[in-house]
Amino acid sequence: VAKTSLTSPPWPEVKLPDPVEEAKYHAAEVVRKVNGLISAGQYGRLFAVVHFASKQWKITSEDLIMMDNVLEAECGDRIRMEKVLLVGADDFTLIGRPLLGKELVRVEATVIEKTESWPKVNMRFWRRHNFQRKKIIANPQTVLRINTIEIYPCLS
Amino acid sequence: MVVLSAARWVRSRLSDRFWRVQEVLKYARHFRGRKNRCYALAVRSVRRAFVRSTKARREKKRFLRALWITRIEAASLEHGLKYPAFISNLVKSQVELNRKVLADLAIYEPKTFKSLAALAQRRRQEGFLAALGDGKEPEGIFSRIVHHH
Repeated sequence: VAKTSLTSPPWPEVKLPDPVEEAKYHAAEVVRKVNGLISAGQYGRLFAVVHFASKQWKITSEDLIMMDNVLEAECGDRIRMEKVLLVGADDFTLIGRPLLGKELVRVEATVIEKTESWPKVNMRFWRRHNFQRKKIIANPQTVLRINTIEIYPCLS
Repeated sequence: MVVLSAARWVRSRLSDRFWRVQEVLKYARHFRGRKNRCYALAVRSVRRAFVRSTKARREKKRFLRALWITRIEAASLEHGLKYPAFISNLVKSQVELNRKVLADLAIYEPKTFKSLAALAQRRRQEGFLAALGDGKEPEGIFSRIVHHH
């Protein structure tokens, strides 16, 4: 049969690799290599994406985080952040779907400071209606320092 | 009328007018023109500035989200994907990263962003394959397609 413009679809034909073979390759090669790299300690600085205080933060070790709310922990308490979405180094990244396992990553932080924010002015005004309200808001803030991010070679 | 104590009728007068005026003028010191010096003009300008800052605090969230989306779109186009394809396929692969973090990764962790784009592209191809089916013609007499050779 002659080939016309409508014999094959206009989008390019894409052949995906075989799922069984791909699972074998993934388990054998990729997981083994990454586990080897992790246990040998051949990664530089690790960064992690953590879900904390209803926000997602991209953090590394030794960096400061300020959140706009109160944390029920005293200053100087060590905190472990459990909802880790992504961990990465220079050569590999571990993407969680949506979270990574607790026995795989460990993110530790210390509460440094609990203060109030600078006094923000909330004002409402309607002209010609003799309506103005002024309110000064100082939200409580907490400052955390991320101490360490550790990964353990328990991939499967 | 008997006035027993005349002194009581003297009303009290303001003694800290200076500080009340300074409270308003301190917020106007960086303004342009006479409204950084004259109280009557400054009151109006400071009031408008406060109202605008309250409204802007709500709109800042919208601006920032639009900025993140622009940045993610630019970065995903570098890897050959459009923004709606990228985001929808990431969500379908159960990767719950928000736009702020994706924009930060696109700027500071290009290799990670490339791997996320590859993940989205692969999920997109799998979705297409699942939607298209086998590519054969459907069975049945009335749905048979006629070939003219």
